[in-house]
This record gives sequence, structure tokens and C-alpha cells, in this order.
Amino acid sequence: MSLTSKLKEAWIGLSAGTVTLPYPLAPHPPGPGFRGRPVFDAARCIGCGGCASNCPAREILIYDPCQELRVIRYLGRRCTSCGRCAEVCPEKAITMSEAFELATDRLSDLEQRLTLFMGSCQRCGRCFAAPTPLDALKLTGYRVDDLEAGRWVCASRSAPPGEPAADVEIEL
Amino acid sequence: MSAERLSAALLVVLGALANVALVLLSAPFFQGVQRRLTARVQSRRGPPLLQPYFDLLKLLGKEDLESGEAPGVQRVAAYLALASILATACLVPLGFPAPLGSAGDVLLLLYLLLLSGVCTLLAGAAAGSTFSWVGVSREMMSMMVLEPILAVALCVGAVHARSFRLEAVLDGSPWLSGAPVSGGLMLVVMLLAFQAFAGRVPFDVAEAETEIMDGPLSEYSGQKLALFRLAQMVKLVVYAALFVGLFVPWGSGWPFPLGFLFFWAKAFSLVVLVALVAATHARYRVDQAIRRYSVLLAFSLGAVVLAALGR
Amino acid sequence: MPSRILLSKLATRFGPAIERADLPDPDRLFVYVAPAALREICSHLFGELNARYVITVGADDRPFSGKYLVAHDFALDREHVLGSVMALLPPDAPRVDTISDLVPGANWAEREMRDLVGIEPVGHRDPRRLVLPDGWPEGVHPLRKDFPHDKVPEGYDPGRRFAFQDPPAGCTVVPLGPFHPALDEPAHFRLFVEGERVRGCEYRGFMVHRGIEKLAESVLGYDDIPTLAERICGICGCVHSVAYAQAVESAACLEIPRRAEYIRTTLLELERLHSHLLWLGLACHLVGFDTLFMQSFRIREPVMWMAERITGNRKTYGLCLVGGVRWDITPEVRSELRQALATLEGEWRTLLSAVGGDRNLKARTRGVGVTSPALVRQMGLVGPVARAAGADIDCRRDHPYAAYDRVEFDVVTAQEGDVWARLWVRLEEGLQSIRIIRQCLEKMEPGPLRLDLNDALPPGRIGVSSVEAPRGESHHFVVTGDDNRPRRWRVRAPTYQNLQGIPAMIQDQMLADMPISLGSIDPCFSCTDRLETVDLSSGAVRTYGEAELRALARGGPREGQGRKHGGLV
Repeated sequence: MSLTSKLKEAWIGLSAGTVTLPYPLAPHPPGPGFRGRPVFDAARCIGCGGCASNCPAREILIYDPCQELRVIRYLGRRCTSCGRCAEVCPEKAITMSEAFELATDRLSDLEQRLTLFMGSCQRCGRCFAAPTPLDALKLTGYRVDDLEAGRWVCASRSAPPGEPAADVEIEL
Repeated sequence: MSAERLSAALLVVLGALANVALVLLSAPFFQGVQRRLTARVQSRRGPPLLQPYFDLLKLLGKEDLESGEAPGVQRVAAYLALASILATACLVPLGFPAPLGSAGDVLLLLYLLLLSGVCTLLAGAAAGSTFSWVGVSREMMSMMVLEPILAVALCVGAVHARSFRLEAVLDGSPWLSGAPVSGGLMLVVMLLAFQAFAGRVPFDVAEAETEIMDGPLSEYSGQKLALFRLAQMVKLVVYAALFVGLFVPWGSGWPFPLGFLFFWAKAFSLVVLVALVAATHARYRVDQAIRRYSVLLAFSLGAVVLAALGR
Repeated sequence: MPSRILLSKLATRFGPAIERADLPDPDRLFVYVAPAALREICSHLFGELNARYVITVGADDRPFSGKYLVAHDFALDREHVLGSVMALLPPDAPRVDTISDLVPGANWAEREMRDLVGIEPVGHRDPRRLVLPDGWPEGVHPLRKDFPHDKVPEGYDPGRRFAFQDPPAGCTVVPLGPFHPALDEPAHFRLFVEGERVRGCEYRGFMVHRGIEKLAESVLGYDDIPTLAERICGICGCVHSVAYAQAVESAACLEIPRRAEYIRTTLLELERLHSHLLWLGLACHLVGFDTLFMQSFRIREPVMWMAERITGNRKTYGLCLVGGVRWDITPEVRSELRQALATLEGEWRTLLSAVGGDRNLKARTRGVGVTSPALVRQMGLVGPVARAAGADIDCRRDHPYAAYDRVEFDVVTAQEGDVWARLWVRLEEGLQSIRIIRQCLEKMEPGPLRLDLNDALPPGRIGVSSVEAPRGESHHFVVTGDDNRPRRWRVRAPTYQNLQGIPAMIQDQMLADMPISLGSIDPCFSCTDRLETVDLSSGAVRTYGEAELRALARGGPREGQGRKHGGLV
């Protein structure tokens, strides 16, 4: 009969008590293993660029101002905390922290910037350089991302074959 | 005018103000209790008990967008809704004799209650949007079957009390005969119909939020919406007072303050019952609701026949 | 070998029309046929051979074969075969005979193919726009290979309006959406109402198309796409990432480690649990029963905690890569999961017994939104909607994937086909899910979590995968490509088919039953709207005013109805 099922339903509710949490009035840290914001450790980073190549959101940018310096810029805007960067890093320089309260009105708060000194050859004193810029582009890990505008530079494969890839505006 | 009549008139005015103040202040509190109770059944904390006051204050401060087809009529409907229910409050005893109890009879009470219902219809019609029209049609269908139940309940009381005077009818009149069969039957009918009068789940078809976005009140905002919301809260209190006055009079005759407190305790428990039923039911469709009201109406007509036969 | 048997049946009947056949697996068949014979073959396949229609895919294959590809995916559930009948069309005027008169469920897929790839379904009875916005210029097809993913087309016409159907005589139009409390995502149902009865309905959707398929073909890599795929839907994300990964693995003939299969199965079933509880809450909210809504969400919460414990996130698990999974179920997580399942099962059964006797709830759901077995067959409905109408189909049993061939479970069906039957099927399925998870935890073998893939995947190979999402069959079609990304990726979410059954479901029902009928198919508009054109908003902001944009989004003002009704569409 409907009355018994209504009483059962009311009992389900009342016996469970109050289960809502007072967050945000009281803190509620996430459990172990929670994937929050990635944290980059410049001391361990060797500048391989694996994180940048594997970021699905294209939020890690790399630029070499000169042959000894490499700048890695984690923008963090579209980061989904997937953890691919931490997974592929050979030096375990990236850890997924538990931070999730990241709301801010300044995008630069989310950014992490690493400037790395790249080792040069012990014999000739130079970093390995490809003969031409085009050959350099074909090297794995070689990147010339646009740090100012904050965008990953890649050749769009959907351009018609034979035509150069058009330079496009990507707005935030 | 003689001093006596002047002082009597003054007393009436003060009494009316007291009634109005009483319902205006208590109605939001009752809704706060209802919301808290519903939350507990739903395993959550719920808002503070004073939340409805804050909500009304907030609404009063909001922009009043006049987005309906006939904003003038919308304004009239809002003011009239609150005015009519407050006038009804002055006719109903709230733990002490009603200040305007001798100003009219049972028919006046019925017309005033009908008027507050009509204000909802006016509101929806003046708004003119598709959803408000659907709400108006549902509200009209419900009113056509519900208002007669209330009328019959008052009639049962009137038949037993042999008078249409409010003081006589609203004082436990259905129980006046020796074998209170009609009284008992009417009590059960009114209890079952009370949820519909209160306009709460499972009988809030006119305002089904998930179906027609608040029905007749869809095009209201700001102060006018606050007036309607307050009118709805007061309506619940007035109906509860009516119910207690008609069917549960025992203890209300005790000397002040005991009688007063006991009256309000009874009204309060009725309000709590409404909340519990609302928390544990799904909303009925309009045709299912009308079918249920019709059955109740049939029984209530049976009750009035029994009352006429002296049972 | 079932696919070989099917091929021989087709070959005997159609002989020379069959140009080429690929049978990469005993349960996969890909047949290339002459374009002129495609319709006849489909008629035989979906008619006499009783195959179930899955989806039609159009692809621009011109950079590789110089032609367009059209593929009609089908499923033979009893014989456990999934496959596709394909034809290559000449590049200058790609046209193909429609099959939507033979298979009504192909209606949307062909219109979408026309909009996005430009392959014309000749003879389609309703060739209006489906996916592209009204003002999109003619002849510009975003999924063609010469259209860059980030291009804004010239010639956008803001004044163009969609040609809605006229309401039948005596009916008024009640709009449901794009903004409505019953809908979480924008969709426009144009209801033709007579009094309180619904006489007909017209659906306009695809308002939140996001360009997912185009992105996958243009700028993402094989292992980036699962991250995108799991964001196709906020409820059944894991299903899409698993289906994509499986499609690629099937195309490249990769066999993933067994432990990975068990983990995928566990998380897919966890997802089913959370989805069904969420649906129950939502359905109760739609009929005004907020208490049961709150309670089902309370019971659901531990499922979310367990997902977070295993994968690091409540919903976007980030589970799959091509070749395996990323997260492991450690022994301590296993014991926590077992405990959580025990509590969950207790609460689930209590809920079942309480809801089962609830006449008030039954009054709102019995006899509402009824689907007949004929409608299920015609429109290719899937999932609990189909099973509640008596159709015994379930991809986990019919086209086994992951570890489903190694666990035991029942497929729950009902006969009445109304909302109450769907509610019951979903609740019972939850208990089966708990059973499956327990078996997986027991049978899980130690081993690696993923394959070590060092070589590029072979290009130009086709893979299909059907995964049983909580809403029904989620089907992915992949053609592998060069440069570490697929050439074509087509996602067919279950709601894509189920939405097409809505007009028949709500015919002659009360208006008040519309939200719950719609809700009972558990619509996931995000899953349905996963293709888009590009970045329209920047185009609009630059040239077009906000008012026009709003008007476009709401389908424009109603001609002849005078003043707009207070902002409600």
C-alpha cells in the first residue's frame, strides 16, 4: 500500500540523518590520490618537453630564447588535471597536488614558469643544433611556442595540401 | 457618536490590526519551519528558520520587471491577493474572538477566500504567457472542485449551529449534534483536502515548477512577487485557523494565554503535517488531482445531507 | 565464424556489387559495395536479415582515396556481429540513395552527414538542416578535409530562419526549451498541444555543438583524444573514452592486458551505478518528489568517492589510453570498494522495496511515454528504453568487450514500455552492476596496466566499438590515420537514437507528462551534440548584436503570434 512505502521512504531519510557538509564554511580536504593542480619542480626538470607534447589541452608551452636557455610555461587556464604531464615526466619533476580551490580573477596566478639552463656539449661547448630551422622543427621535443600570446604553435594538418598553414588568432 | 461606540470602533480597528500583524509575522515563520522539516527528511540541514523573512526582504529590494501582457492588472492582482487574505484573517478567530467576526457571515468569508483565488487567475491571465495560461487553466479546474468542498464544510457547521454567523459556525459547530457522524466525515474530508487548499505537493498542479515554471506567477518579480508569496504564506495560516476553528475547537475556550497558545499549537501541528505530506509525495497530474477532489466533494455532500438529517 | 557467414550470405545474393570485404575479427565485417547497390543491400540487411541499425557515417576520404566514404553501421545482436556497409562516392558530386524510408532511425544520421560532410541523401523526406546553425552558408561543410578546424566561414546569414513545421489544426504551440527547468542542457521541443494533450512535437537541438570530431582529426593525438572523449558527457564520460580506445585498438589489432580489461569493466559499472541513481533522483524531481531526489543523491555519493579514490577525480576519470588504462586498483582500494558496495547494495535494496510499492509515484509513471516493440525496432532505440519495451539487447552480452565475456550477469527486461518499466529496469540493472564489480574484483589478474606501443599505428584501418552506456549503446567508428591521429572519428551516443523516438512516445499524452517522458529516456544532450562548427560566438560578437544572437538561439520570433511572451520561448 502506498502509505507503507511512504513511511519507508520517510524513514530512509530520517534515519540517514543530515549528510550535507558545511563546506565552504569549514574546510574539506580531498582524499588521497586526488588529482589537483600539477606542481612543477624546476630543480628536477631536464627540459625534455615531454609534458608539453603530451598535454591534451596544449597548456604547456616551450620556447628557447637562446641555445642555453629553455623557458617552460605552464599556463593552467584550460588544465583539466588529467595528470598526463606527471605521468610522462622521466624525472618525476611534476606532482599532482591536492589543490583545487583555484578560482581567481587573474589568470597569471595559475601560471608556473621554469627557466632552465640547458647543458652544452663538453667538447665543442655548443648545444646540439640542427642544420636548418626546418630540420630543427622535425626533432622530437623542439618547440617554438608563442609565450607572449600564450599559444602552442603547430602546423594545422587541416590546411589544404600544398598551401602553407595560415597564422590564426586564437582568443582566450 | 457616543463614547461607547467610538471605543468599540477603536477596539475593532485595533483588533483588526492585531490579527493582521499576527498572521503577517507568523506566516513566514511557519514556512521556515516547513522548509527546515522538509530538509531534515531529505537528509540535509535546511535554511535558517527565519529564511522566509530574508527572502521576502530580498524580493522587495529586487527590480520589478513588468513583463506581462497587462501590467496594470498584474499590479491590481498582487495588491488584491494580499488585501483579501488579510481581510479574511480579520474574520477568523485566531485564539481569541475575531475583531470583525460580526461584520459578516459565512458567505462573506467564502467570497473573500474565493477572491484571493481569483487573484491568482487574474495574475496568470494578465501575464499572458503560454505557461501562465496553462497554470491559470489548471488553477481554475482545481478551484471549481475545491471551493465547493470548503463551502460544504462551512455549511455542515452552519446547519448544526442553525446560523450563518461566523462566531457560531467557527466554534466547533460540526460537533454540535449528538451523533457527530457528519462532523467526523467532514473532518476526514477536509484533512485529505487540506493539502490542496494549502497548494502543496501532491496537489500543487497549478504551480508545478518543473513543468510550467511557476504557472500563473511566471511573469512576476520583485515587490509584486513578494506580495503574492506573502499572501500564499498567510493563506496557509488562515486555512489552518479555519480548520482548527471548525473541527478542533477543544481547548481554545480556555482563558488567555492558555487558550491562545493551545490554538496556535494545533494550527502549528497542522502546518507540520502539511510539510511532512509534501515531503513524501510526488505531484499529481491535474486530471488525477481533479478526480481525487471530486471524490472528496461527493463525500462532503454526503456529510451535509447527514447534517441536515441531524446526524 | 559469424561475420564470414554473413559475408557469404551477402555475396551469394549480391555477388558483383560487393567490391571488397575486411574481416579483421570473427565478429567484425566491413564490406565495400558499389554505390548504386548500397540501398538494395541495406534494404536486405535491415529488412530480411533483421540487422539493427546503428549509425551512418560520412567521411571525406579525398586526400587518401580521392573519394568520399559513406558507411552504414549495423549490428546483428544474436550473431554477435558488428559491421559496416560502405561505399566510396565520386568526389565532385557526392550523392547516395537515402535509406531513411527503409530505416526511420537513419533520419538524423543522414541529415547530419549532409550538413557536415556534404554527402547528399537523395530522396530523404526531410532534408532540412539538423546540426549547423540556421545562418551557416550553403555549400560549406566543416568536416571536409579542406576546411580548417578554426576557420570562421564567410557568408553567415543572420536573417535566415529555420522552417518549422506547421502545427496540426486546432493545436497551439507550447515551447519546451531551450531554457526550461526540466532540461539541464538546451534543446528545443516544439510541442503541438490541444488543451492539455500533446498532439505532436518537433525537436531542434545541437545547440551546444563543440567540434569534437573535427578537433580529433585535426589537432589532437591518439592519446589526447580519450581526455576529450570523456568530456563528451558529464555522466557517461568513461563510456566514450573506453569506446574510443577500443575502436582504435580494434582497428590496430591491439590486445590490451587482462588486468586493464577488468579495471575498465569495474569503472564502467561504477559509472552505471552513479548514472542510474542520478537518473532516479532527476526523474523524481521532475514529478515533484524532491525527497526521493535528495535521498538517491545521498545514496549515490559513496560511488563518487570510490571513483575519486581509484582515479583521482569524481567523474572525469582519465582512465583510458590506447592500449590500456592509467590507474590501478590496489589491494587497499579493493577492500574499500568492497565495503562501499556492501553498504550501497543494502541501501539500493531498501530503496527498491520502498519505491516498488509507491502508488503515488506509479500514478505519475504508469502508462506514460509508452514505446511499443515496433517503435524500438523502427527507430533503433537502445538501452533501458528498449529493454523496458521487451527488446532483449545489451552490448555487454551481444558484443562483448573488456572483461564482460568473463563475468556473469543478467540482462533486465520488462514488457510495458512505459516510464515505470524503465525505472524498474534501471533499478534492477544497478544490482547487476554491483554483481559484476564484485566478480571483477575477485577475478582480477596481476599484470601490466597497458601496452608498450613503440611503433606508429597502421593508417587507414577501420575499427568500431559498441559499449553499453547507462543510456544504451554508445558506438564509435574510427579510421586510423597518419601523424598520430585518426582520420575520422564518429561518435554515436545512445540519446541520438532515443531522442528520435520522442515524438511517437509523447503522442496523445498529457502536457504534464512531457518532462517525465523526456526524462525517462535519460537524455544526454551533451552526448548528442558533439559535433560543431567553429567558434561562432566570436563571429557573432564582432558583427552581430546580442539581440540577434539571442533570437537565433531561440529559433527567432514567432510569425503571427504578436508580442514575444515575456522572454520565454
